[in-house]
Amino acid sequence: MKFYKKTSYTEDFRLFRDGAAAFWYALLGLALVAAPFVLPAYYLSQLVLIGIYVVAGAGLMLLSGYCGQVSLGHAAFFAVGAFTVAVLEKHGVPFLAAFAAAGALSAAVGFVIGLPALRLSGLYLAIATLAASFIVTEVIVRWEGVTNGASGLNVAKIRIAGWIADSEPKLYAIVLAVAVAAMLAVRNIVRAPLGLAMMAIRDSETAAQSMGVPLMRVKLAAFAISALLTGLAGALYAHKLQFIDPDQFTILVSIEFLVMIFIGGIGSMHGIVLGAAFVIALPQLVAVAKDYLPAAVAQQSGLQAAVYAAVLLAFILAEPTGLYGIWRKIKHYFSMFPFYRKGSLRRAKSFAKSETW
Amino acid sequence: MAVLSVSDVGISFGGLRAVDGISFGVEPREIFAIIGPNGAGKTTLFNVISRIYEPSTGSIVFDGRDITRIPPHDVVRAGIARTFQNINLFDNATVLDNLMLGRYRHHRSGVLRQTLFTPFVRREKLADRRKVEEVIDFLELGKYRDVLVAGLPYGVRKIVELGRALAAEPRLILLDEPSSGLNVEETRDMVFWIQDMRDDLDMTVIMIEHDMSLVSAVSDRVLAMSSGRMLALGTPGEVQRDPGVAAAYLGG
Ligand SMILES: Nc1ncnc2c1ncn2[C@@H]1O[C@H](COP(=O)(O)OP(=O)(O)O)[C@@H](O)[C@H]1O
Ligand SMILES: [Mg+2]
Repeated sequence: MKFYKKTSYTEDFRLFRDGAAAFWYALLGLALVAAPFVLPAYYLSQLVLIGIYVVAGAGLMLLSGYCGQVSLGHAAFFAVGAFTVAVLEKHGVPFLAAFAAAGALSAAVGFVIGLPALRLSGLYLAIATLAASFIVTEVIVRWEGVTNGASGLNVAKIRIAGWIADSEPKLYAIVLAVAVAAMLAVRNIVRAPLGLAMMAIRDSETAAQSMGVPLMRVKLAAFAISALLTGLAGALYAHKLQFIDPDQFTILVSIEFLVMIFIGGIGSMHGIVLGAAFVIALPQLVAVAKDYLPAAVAQQSGLQAAVYAAVLLAFILAEPTGLYGIWRKIKHYFSMFPFYRKGSLRRAKSFAKSETW
Repeated sequence: MAVLSVSDVGISFGGLRAVDGISFGVEPREIFAIIGPNGAGKTTLFNVISRIYEPSTGSIVFDGRDITRIPPHDVVRAGIARTFQNINLFDNATVLDNLMLGRYRHHRSGVLRQTLFTPFVRREKLADRRKVEEVIDFLELGKYRDVLVAGLPYGVRKIVELGRALAAEPRLILLDEPSSGLNVEETRDMVFWIQDMRDDLDMTVIMIEHDMSLVSAVSDRVLAMSSGRMLALGTPGEVQRDPGVAAAYLGG
């Protein structure tokens, strides 16, 4: 049995799997830092959106991907974050304080919405979170004195002390910093006992409880942290668009978030980034494809939603481990070449087949 | 002085009296077996002790403390760990992570420290890992360490579940049919492990078991149940000779 002893016990919970992984991440980091200097404005703008979606996706991945609690209401946290930062800044609160408040208020709303989750799961939970998000958007629409209701709010540029984020590269720098911090936070939770407890709840509540996991507390923590991150993403989103109204935070956004983590790969950190890139790139791809489609199809207003549905369906049927699963297969194929055997990655495939969906 | 005292415990499901007036005490470092035909209420009794079910009558005292009404997640903190009749593992996690979760009750770090993964959290994790490696060595699970549980054969899953309970370092362990589904060799290992739990790990063991040769080989005392009630309580020999027990097994 000694052959299997690991050289070091820390190996299993290092930030990066090994030196090679750390190297590639360092390279990726360099590329991201260089991006504003080399990328055309349009692509940088897309990268900012991807970064914002990564922050939201990190939140939803923790809750749904790791803790197994499906939420169809994350647009509400996105909206709470966006409106909190917009309203506070309108009243002269500095960005950093408003940003923190946006996260805190979203976390509080997440905590409250999480309460019914303690007794629900699966489809019932999805519907309860959906209903809760309708209530939140309704509050935003009706509370005109503060939120300006359906007319929306203008959002100023980010200002930290004397510094103003008045260009896309500056906004990008802030979004990148927040996205990296969000990914680190989720990665840390996942490798800490709390993350293990969340995965335990996803797989078997009874067993988790019998091993000492307080179901209520861990689920509420998952909801609050998830909402906090999504709220911070919303605050950044408000600054990216510079104008927000309640119509930007409909159920379609919640679905988009779910599609993002599902297509990225449930229960994987890489899946967050891959999913965000996919969700932001898809509308562009659809727009390009329109030129080649017959007019009768291209003119349909629901085209993008239909493409979402089709892609999601294809993933559920053919590749439940998402883009990250495909990436691992490709990597595996080349590392084993020419000895690749079909099914040698079956282990990974069984992953997403938990009863959480 | 008994480490666990069960007094007059009863529970009903609708009209069915699944457990009815059960009383017994288990001594420290005793191996205590519970036998009885299917549907006798043995698993339900375990579920009452581990607080999954609320008993309608009676009380349970562990280590001088009344645990009849504590929250279910505090049972393992009190020092009682268990396995399930139909194996209840975290299927999408590795063997290692399943065992690591067994250490959950020993954690002290809050959400913020874990989000920052501070040196304190790292030290806790390393201490857990050392303990888990002891369990892996004890149960010879080394070659499955990084394998997802879902893909493992039944017998191995059963042992992983035992390992998860052992990782919690309980004083009392509840085993629900530890030998069911195991082959001859695995059953023999199980016998040794159960004895080692008592002899080397100082644990008290309560096991529900159908295999009478295993029961006779390891247990100090046996409780026989049928239709939720106690039939007999005594040494394996006494219980096997009990006319009521024989009748219950013959479908009486
Ligand atoms: N949650 C439940 N709801 C209804 N009936 C139950 C429940 N749990 C157990 N029972 C019933 O209680 C009786 C005892 O079951 P159980 O304790 O599993 O028996 P054993 O483990 O001795 O085979 C059975 O008749 C079973 O159907
Ligand atoms: Mg049973």
